[in-house]
Amino acid sequence: MVKVYKELNDILLVNLNIKEASLENGDAFKAEIIKLFDKYHKSIAINMSAVEYIDSSFLGSIVSAFKHLISFQADVVLVGLSKDITNLFALTRLDKVFKIYNSFDEITNQ
Amino acid sequence: MAISKPKQILLVDDDQLFLKLIEQVFKKSGFICTVAPSAEAAIVLLQEGAKPDIILSDYLMLKMNGFEFRRYLMNEAAFKDIPFVFLTFFSDKDLVEKGLDLQAIDYVIKDTPINVIVSKVNNILFAVDKQRELSENEVKKAAKSLNIKSIPVKPPEIKEFTVDFWHQAYHGIPGGDFIDFIKVNDRYNFIVLGDIMGKKWMAWFFTFGFLSYVRSAVRFAAFNEEYSTAKILQQVNSIICFDEVLKDILSSLSLLLIDSETNRITYAGAGDLPLLQYSNETGELTMVSSSGLLLGLFEEGNYTEKEIVLNQGDRLFVFTDGMIDFIDKTGKKSDYNQFSKTLKPFMEKENNFTHIAKSLFSGNLNEQVDDRSIISIYKN
Repeated sequence: MVKVYKELNDILLVNLNIKEASLENGDAFKAEIIKLFDKYHKSIAINMSAVEYIDSSFLGSIVSAFKHLISFQADVVLVGLSKDITNLFALTRLDKVFKIYNSFDEITNQ
Repeated sequence: MAISKPKQILLVDDDQLFLKLIEQVFKKSGFICTVAPSAEAAIVLLQEGAKPDIILSDYLMLKMNGFEFRRYLMNEAAFKDIPFVFLTFFSDKDLVEKGLDLQAIDYVIKDTPINVIVSKVNNILFAVDKQRELSENEVKKAAKSLNIKSIPVKPPEIKEFTVDFWHQAYHGIPGGDFIDFIKVNDRYNFIVLGDIMGKKWMAWFFTFGFLSYVRSAVRFAAFNEEYSTAKILQQVNSIICFDEVLKDILSSLSLLLIDSETNRITYAGAGDLPLLQYSNETGELTMVSSSGLLLGLFEEGNYTEKEIVLNQGDRLFVFTDGMIDFIDKTGKKSDYNQFSKTLKPFMEKENNFTHIAKSLFSGNLNEQVDDRSIISIYKN
């Protein structure tokens, strides 16, 4: 579900290859992110451009993975959110919690 | 009762001809088929979100064989519970035993006529559904005997206002949405709507932890005559962040206080969707947003308070995210504006919440993707 795209000095770029992010894959997603963090020990940028729908259970899994990483002074960064998902993040104030970028290039060009 | 929908089957076989044949027969029998020419391809499909009700896999395949495939699935939390059936030959008898050791539900001899294979798969799925239903009924009975509810039986009676609510559990199983009405006295009434992130029983179990904290915080506030919804939310959030059981559980919450003496409503929200306020005078629906973060996220939740004034005939809607989720031809969607647009024409012609709920919300259960809850506060 989560595939490593590129490892940079301070951040790992990964692709989330699912169309529907929901209860069914939320726990597995969280476990994969934590496993990647345990291996690379750095912040993780998740490209979510393939995701068309996200439910509150999966949002909970993202937030939970984020809480885990920030407890180790790392971060979860979100990339390529669709318009609907961007709106959902704004409506529920999660856009104030996560750093959100349009593409990996925006991160690498920083 | 669960609504029956077409079953999805994942067919895995490196014999392309057999795969095509079996796919056609399953399709004719009403199945939604996903096919994979190898175990590796099947794993990619599953990782990309395929959600079959059952997997029918050949044993003898190049590279990864059926057993290795099954062993892989057994080690993946998301896939290990998908019923798995081996397709094999009589000559693989000893392998069949090994396969059943891997908790494959059954095996089917490959020479069996395909319509018999379909019947066998149907029987397995029927048995799995029946078992699931029995387990759910057991939990439902247990919950009922404990007499605990996360949704009230009826709306409260509040001076100057008419409060109604509508709730529909996802697949008929109690979930993470919770509603509470707390009457302090004739003047003050609190309205609580929360949504634990998760679904079904797991989320339902935690609703009582959250509800207990909200009730306690409201009671303490009332005891101290401190009627601030933002302060109550901050207090609840602080406790949850320290609670060993709840600290990894997140919840949205809308907390409203109705003052029947001044007719004012104060509102604070935690990661909840903006409320919708209908003005009887202008016929417009406007968003009422709050600033607070989800309960359990950070110790400082940035909760602020908003004052809402409803005039006669105005209405305020408080709802969970299940209300804005729907399914169309292209898949599942969350669309707040669409929900608001659908609601608006009804507001202009219909004054009765029960009628609004019946016309708008009680649609096709197959289109429901989460718990759905909405509270209406109408100014008499």
